[in-house]
Amino acid sequence: MTQTQNSRPSRPGLVPGVLSVLAMLVLWTLASQLTDRPQTLPAPWEVAARILRLASGGELWLNGGMTLFRVAASFALAMAAGMALGLWMGRSRAADHWLNPGLIILLNVPALVVIVLCYIWIGLNETAAILAVALNKIPVVTVMIREGTRALRPDLDDMARVFRMSPLTRLRHIVLPQLAPHIAGAARAGISLIWKIVLVVEFLGRSNGVGFKIHLLFSSFDVEGVLAWALAFVAVMLAIDLFLLRPAERRANRWRQDAA
Amino acid sequence: MRLDLEAKSFGPRQVLGTLTLSVTRGERLAILGPSGIGKSTLLRILAGLDRQYQGQLQGAERLAMVFQEAVLLPWRDAVANITLPTGCDATTARDWLSEVGLEGHETKFPRQLSVGQQRRLALARAFAAGPDILLMDEPFASLDAATAARMLALTDALLNRTGAGAVLVTHDPAEARTLGVLALHLGGCPARFQKD
Repeated sequence: MTQTQNSRPSRPGLVPGVLSVLAMLVLWTLASQLTDRPQTLPAPWEVAARILRLASGGELWLNGGMTLFRVAASFALAMAAGMALGLWMGRSRAADHWLNPGLIILLNVPALVVIVLCYIWIGLNETAAILAVALNKIPVVTVMIREGTRALRPDLDDMARVFRMSPLTRLRHIVLPQLAPHIAGAARAGISLIWKIVLVVEFLGRSNGVGFKIHLLFSSFDVEGVLAWALAFVAVMLAIDLFLLRPAERRANRWRQDAA
Repeated sequence: MRLDLEAKSFGPRQVLGTLTLSVTRGERLAILGPSGIGKSTLLRILAGLDRQYQGQLQGAERLAMVFQEAVLLPWRDAVANITLPTGCDATTARDWLSEVGLEGHETKFPRQLSVGQQRRLALARAFAAGPDILLMDEPFASLDAATAARMLALTDALLNRTGAGAVLVTHDPAEARTLGVLALHLGGCPARFQKD
């Protein structure tokens, strides 16, 4: 929300972003040339070559695709459950009182504990993996949506009640538009958290995906491979943020900028 | 519709005392009284927005309400602001928009309209609901005198045409006179209707 507002008066364009990435690359190159053991920190072009090899061999698409599928599934699950819970807790004081302690506990249980318990209780399968990731994210979404729900305008609520609007129309045209900035914020904050947890889940108990590949490369101390996988997937997640989530957020906020 | 109110309290403080109020199609009623006396509370009870009172509310009339502010959906255009709450179709909504002098503004969002236009949109929305009784909560209070006078005349004309009844809450006796209504004064503590 704040970003769209900030970017309005003066658009600095792509220059600072590109320059800072270039500076990081220069620093990386220097550091890689100064180390005596190239395995510890390979040069950027070696990592780039490795990414190309992974891509042309098809391995990148298969494992990257599995990771992306897990990210998408747990993201959808976490957003749906978090929004339902957040709406409920924001609307009903009783629900808030009863569910809040559980929410705080879940917020503070380490991700690793949730993952290990899910694998033990449900088994080393896809359901456990996706559920473990979603469980880590649900409380965060819930809290953000609950705050948004508490700030819903009471006058619009009154208007909807007087005009006897159906619950579905109210949800769609009165509640969701007001929550849109909070939903967009929760989605953007969530997607990066989710993909990091997905890697841990794959590292611990899956036989494909980026996390699984990093597990293999870790046992052979292959830094080049780890960096190749990580950077390739960071690029994918950045693209999702840039081309899917940000435009969605802008659309959700468009009516705010329609002042005459 | 008919309200037999015994008492209405906020916490330990009783705001409204025993009072009876009835209104049907074609009847106009104004509730007058100083600020904070409980006029808006009474209107909210009539509208069904406040159910925490002792007494009985009867009647199955279709209601619509004009609030102190326009209370529009900022993320929908003028036509949708009428069709979504009232459930009428877009053609009817356009008719009502031109009825209140807003033709040409159909696709504008509330923020692109002036305050006076927003109020007229709210009025169009209320009439588009096809109400038997229109509830109005100080609908002209925050407008400048000229705009308020135009709104008042417009409301009067539309009430005449549709034959809807009206309950107007106001602190301004002149408004009540212009609409030609039966004025009820709210006063005392807890508030009751008082004879003139």
